[in-house]
Amino acid sequence: MNMMAPLTTAETQLTRTEVAGLVALAARSVPPLWPLESAIAVNPLAGFEDLPFAEAVHRAARRFGARESLPLTAWRGLLATGRIDPKALRDAAIRELGGIYAAEAQVAPGITALDLLMARLVDLPASGPEPEQDSTTADVAFLAKWCAAFFDQSQAASPMPHRDLGLYRAVLALAGHDPDYARLTGALGAQLLLTVSRDPLTAIAEGLSALGVSEGDEVDHLADLVARLPGWAGHIRWRGEHTDPANVSGAPAGMADLIALWLLIERAGALAPRTVPQATAHVGAARLAAHFGLETAAVDAALAAAHGAFGRIAALTEGALGALFMTAAEWSYRNQLVPRLEAAALEREAAAHQTAGAGPDAQLVFCIDVRSEPFRRALEAQGAYQTLGYAGFFGLPIALHRHGEERRKRFLPVLLAPQHDVAEAPVAGREDEAASLSAELAREQHTAALFGAAKQGTATAFATAEATGPLAGLLMAARTIGPRVLERVTRSLTPDRASALAPALDCCPTDGQRPAFTLDEKIGYASALFRLTGLTPQTARLVVLAGHGGSAVNNPYAAALDCGACGGHKGGANARILVAMLNDPAVRAGMAAHGLALPETTVFLAAEHDTTTDVVTIFDRDQVPASHAADLAALETSLARAGAVNRAHRAGLLGRSAEDLLTGAVHWGEVRPEWGLAGNAAFLVGPRDWTAGLDLEGRTFLHSYDWRADEDATALTTILTAPMVVAQWINCQYLFSTIDNSRYGSGDKVTQNVLGGIGVIQGNGGDLRIGLPRQSLFTDAGDPYHVPQRLLTVVLAPLARVEAVIQANEILGRLFGNGWVQLVVIDPETGRTRCWRPAGDPAAEGSTLH
Amino acid sequence: MSTASHSPLSPSTGAVAPHAAAGRSLALVLWLGFAGLALALGLLLAGGTLPAGIGSLPGLSAVIGLLTLFVAAIVVTFSLRNMRADRRPAAYFGGIALLIASVMLFVFARHLVVLGIGWLASGVLLARLVGHDTAWSEARGAARRALLTFAVGDAALVVALVLLVSQTGTAQVDAVLAAVPSLPGWVTLSAALLLLVAAAARCALPPFAGWLLSSMTAPTPVSALMHAGLVNAGGFLLIRFAPVFEAAPIARAAAVAIGLVAALYGVGVMSVRPDIKRSLAGSTVSQMGFMIMSCGLGAYAAALWHIVAHGLFKAWLFLGSGSSVGMRGDKPAGLGEPATIGGVAVATLAVGAWLTLSPDASGSLVPLLLGLATALATLVEGLTGNIPLRARLAIGGLVAALIGFHAAGLAAMHALLGADAPSLLPPWALLALLGAFLAAWMWQQLRQARARPLPAALYVHLLNAGSAPAPALQTAEI
Repeated sequence: MNMMAPLTTAETQLTRTEVAGLVALAARSVPPLWPLESAIAVNPLAGFEDLPFAEAVHRAARRFGARESLPLTAWRGLLATGRIDPKALRDAAIRELGGIYAAEAQVAPGITALDLLMARLVDLPASGPEPEQDSTTADVAFLAKWCAAFFDQSQAASPMPHRDLGLYRAVLALAGHDPDYARLTGALGAQLLLTVSRDPLTAIAEGLSALGVSEGDEVDHLADLVARLPGWAGHIRWRGEHTDPANVSGAPAGMADLIALWLLIERAGALAPRTVPQATAHVGAARLAAHFGLETAAVDAALAAAHGAFGRIAALTEGALGALFMTAAEWSYRNQLVPRLEAAALEREAAAHQTAGAGPDAQLVFCIDVRSEPFRRALEAQGAYQTLGYAGFFGLPIALHRHGEERRKRFLPVLLAPQHDVAEAPVAGREDEAASLSAELAREQHTAALFGAAKQGTATAFATAEATGPLAGLLMAARTIGPRVLERVTRSLTPDRASALAPALDCCPTDGQRPAFTLDEKIGYASALFRLTGLTPQTARLVVLAGHGGSAVNNPYAAALDCGACGGHKGGANARILVAMLNDPAVRAGMAAHGLALPETTVFLAAEHDTTTDVVTIFDRDQVPASHAADLAALETSLARAGAVNRAHRAGLLGRSAEDLLTGAVHWGEVRPEWGLAGNAAFLVGPRDWTAGLDLEGRTFLHSYDWRADEDATALTTILTAPMVVAQWINCQYLFSTIDNSRYGSGDKVTQNVLGGIGVIQGNGGDLRIGLPRQSLFTDAGDPYHVPQRLLTVVLAPLARVEAVIQANEILGRLFGNGWVQLVVIDPETGRTRCWRPAGDPAAEGSTLH
Repeated sequence: MSTASHSPLSPSTGAVAPHAAAGRSLALVLWLGFAGLALALGLLLAGGTLPAGIGSLPGLSAVIGLLTLFVAAIVVTFSLRNMRADRRPAAYFGGIALLIASVMLFVFARHLVVLGIGWLASGVLLARLVGHDTAWSEARGAARRALLTFAVGDAALVVALVLLVSQTGTAQVDAVLAAVPSLPGWVTLSAALLLLVAAAARCALPPFAGWLLSSMTAPTPVSALMHAGLVNAGGFLLIRFAPVFEAAPIARAAAVAIGLVAALYGVGVMSVRPDIKRSLAGSTVSQMGFMIMSCGLGAYAAALWHIVAHGLFKAWLFLGSGSSVGMRGDKPAGLGEPATIGGVAVATLAVGAWLTLSPDASGSLVPLLLGLATALATLVEGLTGNIPLRARLAIGGLVAALIGFHAAGLAAMHALLGADAPSLLPPWALLALLGAFLAAWMWQQLRQARARPLPAALYVHLLNAGSAPAPALQTAEI
């Protein structure tokens, strides 16, 4: 290597350890990004959660070049269609102005400050047209291109050379051949390529010193660089923190690699200036005056008289006005939800003194997912069914190795680490089916590999296209015109996977690193179901654990419709495992020894709720004893009826027919098979009989909780620090993906381009996209279907207990205190409601809740 | 308590939006058009009224027309769901309707002016669909790039047509083609070369590949239509004007050369791309190169069958491109053991050598023998894999069935088009051409089997193929 003198003498260069610390801090400005095969919702602003919400949004907008809120026109559309209550907007405006007296103060003859602000909110022109969708700058294009080549996990037959050297060194090794690099960085870049350190940490130290970044500014400087490619930076975090190292060996990369590359570009003077979208939509005071027909003299007088209120209102940015609309949306929702919950709590308390009737025919435990609620309501209407809400992984921290798949996958919330490896094995008595399924899977995989290799071969590509073309034509027509027929035919030709294979509890996969379950652990997981949901040991004859998943084909975001608590997978496997434990006599005996003696007549059943079609599949039906056959038949009838009811309801929300939903679930062109968790707004913690009478519109996460059975508040602590945090991530993902779909979301589905089996890019290149696509959040007409609003948590429990839990858990203080989640506590005995006020928030004078 | 008076999730209106109805009507028209044309072709074939021979309009036009209508019908039906949230549905469905109409115009044209108008219009309409998202600068850039490339090709076509009309004194396609033998050599050579430029621009052969490789801003269904239908226009042109080419062997040699380069280059691009769509685009460049090469060799039936089958193949892959999520890690991507590959290559060459001894060795030998190599390699690999016997037999059966499809398709095209052109190249040159593909194949497979990456410079060049020139950075001087 040509040893040239360094460009800058570095006298006070940081040590590698110091740099490593800075890199770790800078990395926190972006959250990890999960690959789409197991898509997990994350808050794109997770790195800002230690700030108050408004401040975080503002700072993140600058760092990511994003919008702070929906455009005013979109908010006004929501107001016009009644999805925001005008009164709530007025209340929000009053609070913004500092209370009713300040708001009603005259700022000009006959005109109050409130009039002015309302005019800004609803009448005066919003800022100009939508800013241009970001055009990728040359520096971003260059690094994104190399990240894509480096991190590719499936697409290219000829992988990037030198991947084993790590991202930074591999790119250095190839940049000299790349005309894009020469164009981007010029002679300085070529020179740096020869002299820069080959060690990323040392290179960062060199770079910081050469650029003269002063002490104390380093983290911000590096974080700004990280935020230039939030997708790839997030992918690097996922690789480092959330996957088995074996999955990414052979191509090592850490955040230091990416930062070192950015610093190389910055040192070459090739960093593009950051463009912050126009947040200054303020109108001139004169414009505001003209709106009210005031003379300039009157304005001057008003300005003097109103202590600058006039100017202040005129200077509010579109982001600030949008924040008021969001508050109004939150209050609109809260003001119609909380009084109903209050009343329901009182009714429940009154009813508690009456004698209980007969127990339910069956109890069904669903995931807390917002899509469970309308289905549960529909099912409860079919008969004496009690439903409960529990995190959809059913408390099992497992990694599952599905039969025929290369690797195990994590079927658990990402907050947890897997404790058990489980593999699928043939169901007893179904060995033949399992063998034929294995052969079928092997044939499929081998055919796919053969096809993949043949279509890439220099000599074989042409005949492969010619020979498979006619078949492709036939299949294409079938998938387009008759996908349901095709699906039925395909299904009839292959053995049913779920009946041939089941997760095996007592054997470990051959490559397993983590032990299978011990009896004590089984008893523990089985008991947790009762402890966390408040389910009493007087169980019904049938208790169903229903996981869930969506149905989507040819859809990169299919996993986003599956169960987030199961790591972005379908939840049936977890349900089957816990059911196997609960039906195990040894586990039952162990539970009885711990005071949970269940009736011998109780049979547990695993099921899976398809949230796209509202079909509920019951697993292992043939293991149900004959004594319970009639119960099962009745339940299945009710499930089918409830499914039809809910499907018809959801079809209305999608503007389609219920039949069309079934077609969309198997159609390869469908971009919106269901609305997913769009509309999510609240997290309710309490027993189902509290909320059972209410139509919660599929917008609420429902976690069952009985405050009487949780004296030491351990269950409440778990619920608020685990499932609620996951709900908050989901809520923030939907919120931010909606307010800026090109920065925090992944844009239009039809121009997405799947990259490396990992995720999507838009069009020809650019960053790996984060968040949700436009079609998941906006209606066909382009209006937001998901109203951006922060999660509202409502807990039915004594106030003192909730306060104690918050005080004991720093994360809750942060989420509630900084306004990331709004908290309302309803006292179960008095029905009194308390609203947790974030630190520094003025009292909501206009609102009905205090 | 009162129910929510302003339910935030008010149902969308049940009424069908007008554009959806328009899209549905368009789909119906396309399906009916496809069925009608298929019926007409069937009746003509049954009645034996279809004139045979290369210059025959009905065979070529009907096949290309059928393919275009079929793919368009699939694409529009797919779009009813896929493009449901499109911001400019009128521009989208209207653009596709006009595009298909313009393709039909030049495919069925009997007059050179009509052909020219249809051709030019299809280019403009296609570019507009590539830039359908007008709010996106990258999409506008891609559309502009396509338009500029087409402008070059279209200018060449216009000059070629003007030349032919001025020299033959007629603008009727059949009359022009009939008059070709009497034209001076420079006229046929110039016209053929110009037509080749026009074809290369549409087929995205190097140096015109950039527009196609950077067209991922198009909505997925548009890409399917483009890769399955529009890029074939170049092949159509060469077969339509076959007599001109047959009178200009230099132009045919140029077509073989540019086709060979594109075929190998495209495979290279495909093999390095980490994204599914541009990988497919690389594949299209390669396949179009192979098709144009076949045209140059005079293997018209093979070329036409390639157009049809590849069109269906590529539309299938593009429409299904959303399915490629899933990490597979590093697995050898080769087709089999290097020894197997070597054996297949040697056997193919041996059969080739034996066949070229026969007096009627024609250009279609190259595609035919590559087909043989493919069949051998896939059968060997399919039947010997480390999987249960019944799975191996199923794969063997599938491969055999596909070979059958392939043979039937080729035979049908031969029946429609008649005899191929006389061979351009002597037997040894045909063998050398075949050898070039096989040698490149062996090199590629050997490298992949040993997990050896491409040479760095070549890798970077292939990875950058189609990248738009980076926008100039105005602030670099600061």
